[in-house]
Amino acid sequence: MDSWKKEIERRLAQSGAPALSAAVIQEWAQHLEDRYAALLSSGLDEGAVRAAVLLELENLERLPARLPSSKRDRSARGGEVAEGAPASGRLLADFGGDLRYGWRMIRRSPLFALFAVLCLGVGIGANTTVFTIINTLLLHPLPAKSPSRLVVLYGASANRARQPWGQSGLSYANLMDYMQDQRCFSRIAAFTFPQVLTLAGKSGPGRMFGELVSKQYFATLGLTPALGRFFRSSEDSEPGAAPVVVLSYAAWQARFGGSRDVLGRILALNHIAFTVIGVAPKGFIGVSAVFGPDVWLPATMSERVFPAEFRAALSDRSRQLFRGVARLREGFSMQRAQVNLSTLAAALAGEFPDANQGHGISVRPISAELYSGTGSASSLTFASSVLFVVVLLVLGIACSNVANLLLARATARRHEMALRLAVGAGRGRLIRQMLTESVLLSLASCIAGIGLGYEGCRFVWSFVPSQYVPNMVAPQFDGAVLAFAILLSLITTFVFGLAPALRASRTDVVSALKEETPGGRGRRRLSFTNMLLMGQVAFSLICLVTTALFFRSIDRAYTIDPGFQTRHLGLVMMNPAQAGYGPQRAKEFYRAARERIAALPGVVSVSWASGMPFWNSASRALVIEGKAPQEKAGNRQTVSITVDTDYFRTMEIPLVAGRVFTDRDRDGSLPVAVINQWLAAKEWPGANPLGRRFRFAGDNTWHTVVGVVKNANYWTLGEAPQPCIYVPMRQNLVGGMTLYVRSQGDPAGLLPAIQREVRAIDSNIEVSDARTGSMLIGQVLWGPKVGVALLGVFGTLALVLAAVGLYGVMALAVSLRRREIGVRMALGAMPGGVLRLVIGDGMKLVGWGIICGLAASLALGRSLSHRLFGISFADPASLASAIIVLMMVTLAACYLPARAAMRIDPMKVLREN
Amino acid sequence: MNLNSPDREWKKGSAELLVLSLLEGRPRHGYDISRLIEIRSGGSLRFHVTSLYPLLYRLEEQGLVQGKWVEKAQQRRRRYYSLTSEGRKVLARQRESWREFVAAIGRVVEPEHG
Repeated sequence: MDSWKKEIERRLAQSGAPALSAAVIQEWAQHLEDRYAALLSSGLDEGAVRAAVLLELENLERLPARLPSSKRDRSARGGEVAEGAPASGRLLADFGGDLRYGWRMIRRSPLFALFAVLCLGVGIGANTTVFTIINTLLLHPLPAKSPSRLVVLYGASANRARQPWGQSGLSYANLMDYMQDQRCFSRIAAFTFPQVLTLAGKSGPGRMFGELVSKQYFATLGLTPALGRFFRSSEDSEPGAAPVVVLSYAAWQARFGGSRDVLGRILALNHIAFTVIGVAPKGFIGVSAVFGPDVWLPATMSERVFPAEFRAALSDRSRQLFRGVARLREGFSMQRAQVNLSTLAAALAGEFPDANQGHGISVRPISAELYSGTGSASSLTFASSVLFVVVLLVLGIACSNVANLLLARATARRHEMALRLAVGAGRGRLIRQMLTESVLLSLASCIAGIGLGYEGCRFVWSFVPSQYVPNMVAPQFDGAVLAFAILLSLITTFVFGLAPALRASRTDVVSALKEETPGGRGRRRLSFTNMLLMGQVAFSLICLVTTALFFRSIDRAYTIDPGFQTRHLGLVMMNPAQAGYGPQRAKEFYRAARERIAALPGVVSVSWASGMPFWNSASRALVIEGKAPQEKAGNRQTVSITVDTDYFRTMEIPLVAGRVFTDRDRDGSLPVAVINQWLAAKEWPGANPLGRRFRFAGDNTWHTVVGVVKNANYWTLGEAPQPCIYVPMRQNLVGGMTLYVRSQGDPAGLLPAIQREVRAIDSNIEVSDARTGSMLIGQVLWGPKVGVALLGVFGTLALVLAAVGLYGVMALAVSLRRREIGVRMALGAMPGGVLRLVIGDGMKLVGWGIICGLAASLALGRSLSHRLFGISFADPASLASAIIVLMMVTLAACYLPARAAMRIDPMKVLREN
Repeated sequence: MNLNSPDREWKKGSAELLVLSLLEGRPRHGYDISRLIEIRSGGSLRFHVTSLYPLLYRLEEQGLVQGKWVEKAQQRRRRYYSLTSEGRKVLARQRESWREFVAAIGRVVEPEHG
């Protein structure tokens, strides 16, 4: 008897079955003992008897984890059975048992597990990628101390509507006055846009981006250096006296390999030897969520860093090259700060009317500046939301795929469930058991998803042109992302696991055990499956329509006319001043380079202009002769571009009236200007603008208008028209210029020859920034392009997942209907008819899915409409192409099972029964 | 499902009925129940410990049977199960539905005559 007890205990331990109470073991041991005695008396030899008795203990591992009997531990000796309280402390043991059981089930069907993990992994991965983008750009855009207390200070003009192309700046001198007199900020600092600097190196000149900042900049943001120190007060007092730089973390890693002895090293920037004094903290790329500088320089170095025309940047109040960042004092709100600064602005306008009349200051939340390089926070939020919705749909499809598979398996496991119910497992217990299996699946999927999500981020960031990698924000794959992935997996578990678990546990014991075929009661299950399938088709149609809309929209954007020809245009940026050239030498260089390049074969025309297309914002205030300067002064901000002769011919900007610049427009001759139609219509409506005069605020030279040209896009593609003034280079020499070349053929082939020619003149001049006109358009549309590429990837994923799901369910339906199909064929149905029957069933589902998806797309599309270039959200071509693609793929998914159905041998099927 | 092994599948659905039927006349211990099922089915139905006892415990929890440890002279302690009044009602119901089921099956599977 005791040996049987030991045997039972040993086997329980081996099989991982739940522990049994002493009373139960005693009862079972007695049973074995009785059986042993009976078999032995029948004359069998002892070995055979023992083996036969042990058969009784088969399938110990299938015991439900909690036997009803286990509550009888306190059963009275020889007396009544005590009805005890429900099991306590068993939950953990149960969970352990469930895990082991789940693991066995997964091992038993590895293909199912692999498919489920792949589906869910892809869904979770796509979500993780998009969440990482959101985490990086929107949730943690600035690694500063309490960023909500930070504000940014811009220039503002009375009566002026907000410019769509960015904010105007403040002059350094004005900012210093605000700093001194303000009462509402604990700290305040000035900073510029990243400026292009020439870095002299052993292997020729290179390019760096540098931001000029005042000494409180890092302190205002609450940062501590990763290495070395930030600027001292002494380095911010005397103009030009402190050639020191702080490196960005990424530049330190990329250019110095993260070496600690970088401190004290010399960087030859713009022909000046700068000493490295520190490294900014990791992840900090300036007051921007996207693009930052390689180095920060003290603002006092402005006069030696800015191009010649901006040399008075520190003292000239009309040079609005800076913006401010400030930290609100405790108890001060942004509105109070605005009131305080506006009072100071009025005082400044009274003191320096020429530069400040009508020009105030605007206090904005820090987010205004963080996203100024990407359009705005709202467009980024919009893009992220669209992507997020799409990946959630992808995950929804993946979940529904796995749920469908689990449902199919639940049908196959009805007998198992019924048996477990029959031997006393509770429903809750079964649901827990099945959910445990789902948890195991989603754990594996979570790991796969995090891996795929990481790879997805690398894919997204691979769109960043390599030369900008150190300047671009790096993906933040941090704890928040991991937490998100894990949370999402858990939610996913319940989404895909609960319905099948509930359904399976509702198994009716008697009918399930008596049931003849596993698919006999499949009708209801299939109808639920059908709903899931319709949902999948609808979801993937929404994804496809969204993708198609944005794809067509961006395609349209490429056809927008920017007002100049981009097809045969090549551009190379140069800055001889940064290589140490004085004005006279620079002039000579511009002339020589132009001559040499014009002689190259394939060159149609050559010219110079300040800046690149799409880099020009309205930044200069105008004073029109005969009109009071204060009246509507703020409305007279214009774009100004310095150009050489032949510029309009090279760009193919048509002349509307008057003349373009000629060789006679030079130093000493009458200062002239060409304006665009928009400015002409605005300042001299109905009158002839030719011969009229204006000057730039802060500059005493009067310019005479000699020509009018057509409007072009200056800041971005498809922008609203804005005023623009062109002045001749020979009367307004500037430091950095871009060479514009119109070519006969593909300009890309010409760029290396141009770079060679310039290097032949002087190898110290940096010429690495060379682009073609179509690259310019591509760069302007870079953000939307990345978005559309991602949408394309996610749309394809949605389609593939939905197709796979449809295929799986159709194949299952065919296998369940084998007999029915066999009978139909025996009764004379032709294979073609069977094919139509099965495909018809599948496509009926697809059809309903498409109708639902179309309705949802049209309902959701309205919110996309104002972000689409030149097409409506109900664009028939987009809708039709999405539907056609979906139909073709789903048709293929139905065709395969239908073909299998067509090949069913009726005789064989009927014989099986 | 494999139709060639009736004992495996059929008995699962009817196990409850079998046990309740055997307890109708008198209380029995577990081994006695399993022995009787095997003998009366001519050896084609057999319940192992691992399926019989969980079933008994469940019936007990449902209040259809009641178990008691009993010590008889010259014998070891055994647990005897007896039918409760609720168990009797359920047995009657199950027996009725079983007969109907068998009859229905019979009407279908019997060869048709004439």
